[in-house]
Amino acid sequence: MNQIPVTVLTGYLGAGKTTLLNRILSEPHGKKYAVIVNEFGEVGIDNDLIVGADEEIFEMNNGCICCTVRGDLIRVISGLMKRAQNFDGILIETTGLADPGPVAQTFFVDEDVAKRAKLDSIVTVVDAKHLPQRLKDSNEAEEQIAFADVILLNKTDLVSKEELKKVEHAIRRINAFAKIVYTERCKVELDQVLGLGSFDLNEILKHEPDFLGAQGHDHGHDHHHNHDHAHGEDCHDHECHNPEHHHEQHDHQHDSTITSVSLTAEKPIDSSKFENWMGDLRANKGPDLLRYKGILDIAGSNQRLVIQGVHMMMEGSNLAEWKVGVKRQSRLVFIGRKLDEKQLREGFRACAVT
Amino acid sequence: MAAASAIARQWEFKLPITSLAVNRNGNWVCATLGDGTARLLEAHDDTDNPKILALHNGISLSLKADTNPAAFISGGDDGKILSFDPTNEAPVLLAEHKHQWVDHVASSTDGAYRAYSIGKQVHLLNAQGEKHGNPLAHPSSIGGLAFSPNSKRLAASHYDGVSLWWTNAKETVPVKLTWKGSHLGTIWHPDGKILLTSLQENALHGWRMSDGNEMRMQGYAAKIHSMDFTVKGKYLATSGADQIICWPFFGGGPWGKTPLTLGGSDARLVTQVAAHPKDELIAAGYDDGMIVMTPMDGRMEVMIHPPVSEKGNAVVGLVWSTNGDCLFAALESGYLMLFTISSVQKAVAHAN
Repeated sequence: MNQIPVTVLTGYLGAGKTTLLNRILSEPHGKKYAVIVNEFGEVGIDNDLIVGADEEIFEMNNGCICCTVRGDLIRVISGLMKRAQNFDGILIETTGLADPGPVAQTFFVDEDVAKRAKLDSIVTVVDAKHLPQRLKDSNEAEEQIAFADVILLNKTDLVSKEELKKVEHAIRRINAFAKIVYTERCKVELDQVLGLGSFDLNEILKHEPDFLGAQGHDHGHDHHHNHDHAHGEDCHDHECHNPEHHHEQHDHQHDSTITSVSLTAEKPIDSSKFENWMGDLRANKGPDLLRYKGILDIAGSNQRLVIQGVHMMMEGSNLAEWKVGVKRQSRLVFIGRKLDEKQLREGFRACAVT
Repeated sequence: MAAASAIARQWEFKLPITSLAVNRNGNWVCATLGDGTARLLEAHDDTDNPKILALHNGISLSLKADTNPAAFISGGDDGKILSFDPTNEAPVLLAEHKHQWVDHVASSTDGAYRAYSIGKQVHLLNAQGEKHGNPLAHPSSIGGLAFSPNSKRLAASHYDGVSLWWTNAKETVPVKLTWKGSHLGTIWHPDGKILLTSLQENALHGWRMSDGNEMRMQGYAAKIHSMDFTVKGKYLATSGADQIICWPFFGGGPWGKTPLTLGGSDARLVTQVAAHPKDELIAAGYDDGMIVMTPMDGRMEVMIHPPVSEKGNAVVGLVWSTNGDCLFAALESGYLMLFTISSVQKAVAHAN
């Protein structure tokens, strides 16, 4: 069964999300999209299906405090998938205030959604003129940049070269890894924003130039999809008991700054040390880890371990073998709040075989 | 034991089947398809080819038996709530909400009320199709609707619990049953004393009406999409595991009891369950299209292969005719199968 690619469009109010959406829909690509929007009215091409949804975020009652998902997306995507008529893709337009975290986690957590749809990319539209102010007065603008795979730096015609440089710098300080596309009125080639496979482990491997030794590997996709939540799985014994209420409280820290950290290791990584370290990190720092990706040289394995994650949710798979003659190196990148670069660096270094 | 010829009849619709229901008379079965149409079949062993009925400009999101015992009620993503009697030509439009999805429909067994939900709101209609009271508001989207067996209460599940409404009172504040999480499917014990919901977190939660005593059942591998009480409410059979998980509701259960497990298989997951209306017998469908029929004592399990068995071709609907003579099973890929007690018995005798 093919999973339908889902592209998430985020961006602060007025940045140009709807312009981008209309541009995608009106291009003569002959493709059919289902579009999930918060408000009807501004979007609409006869050929496409527009569905309204309220952003309903709820916490999973699974002991994982940052495991929030979008209930409305589960409902709408499950409904769309029942249709006989197939879509080439689903586009989700979020509100300006949306946190992309729950949207992304929905695709990890809900088995029905994951079976039929896959997250392709998070595309964030930012307004070159107003971004500096937005970053000062809202945490959402920062989060949306942090989660992005592609940042459409829009309205570049409204700023000077110096201003543009400053804005780019501000974006890079938050998210050092996203692709930045400069646009006016969201004019962009569609292949810059659609069909990128940013959450696909094989694509991560392909797009990592330092490690790219071979051609595309479309054989032997051995996806394990270890959606483990790092908090002790329910044992699979069926039982019934009288529950005790437990209310977990947590507040997101909205006033901290988000940064990117990139780590490399020359020595091979000890698989179990790395698992323990990442497990602890996700369990203790999960709410602050927004996105992370890595390609790792695991000691004793000829294959590259590719991982990616959002908050506590991580998936990993052993993919394509290292090319003979290519220097093996491990690289791990994090985007998150309150990242202690020194601690991360030391922690990662300690995962190397001794 | 395998019994391939146990299928009395089968149809291939070449379109995905989205749901399957039987009317209250128990003599017609309806399958809704991915193009918004329905296929209607009489529930007996020499049933004719199905009647085709156009329902929604989109798809049906919820299909149930209607208040009229001959009819069905369907809510669609075109905002329409339709009632249709298989012996009539056209469906009756009960209500319409443009640009909105009708997520759930339900009808009361006494034939007095219908309910449907659109996002966070629940609307009640009487048997004539007229509005009954104001829309009922909830804190979040509705995951499931169920009238109590005596038709006096309506349970609407949502995030963090269930709202219980009296159907004939003018009250505006429901009784709230709370438990953290997203509550989806909703089912009453046939005696009306216990209400259960299936949760997003692959678990069940329940409340006893008399004292609010709660129950929590877990250990499932997947979301529980299907629940059914066996005859006299003895067991609650559930999907969501590699076996049919049956919770005992007698002898002090389900508290502190382990469930009865039937129809085991490592390689597949139960997606649908349907209890026989008269006998202590359960049918289950799996995520690869397999069907199992087994008595509650597990002594004579019959396993039936579908015409096409593969992952992704899950059983999406399973219903018995009210007399218990016919079992219909719908596969996601568009096959509908009819099993009759005699076709199954013949196949078993042949295999022996």
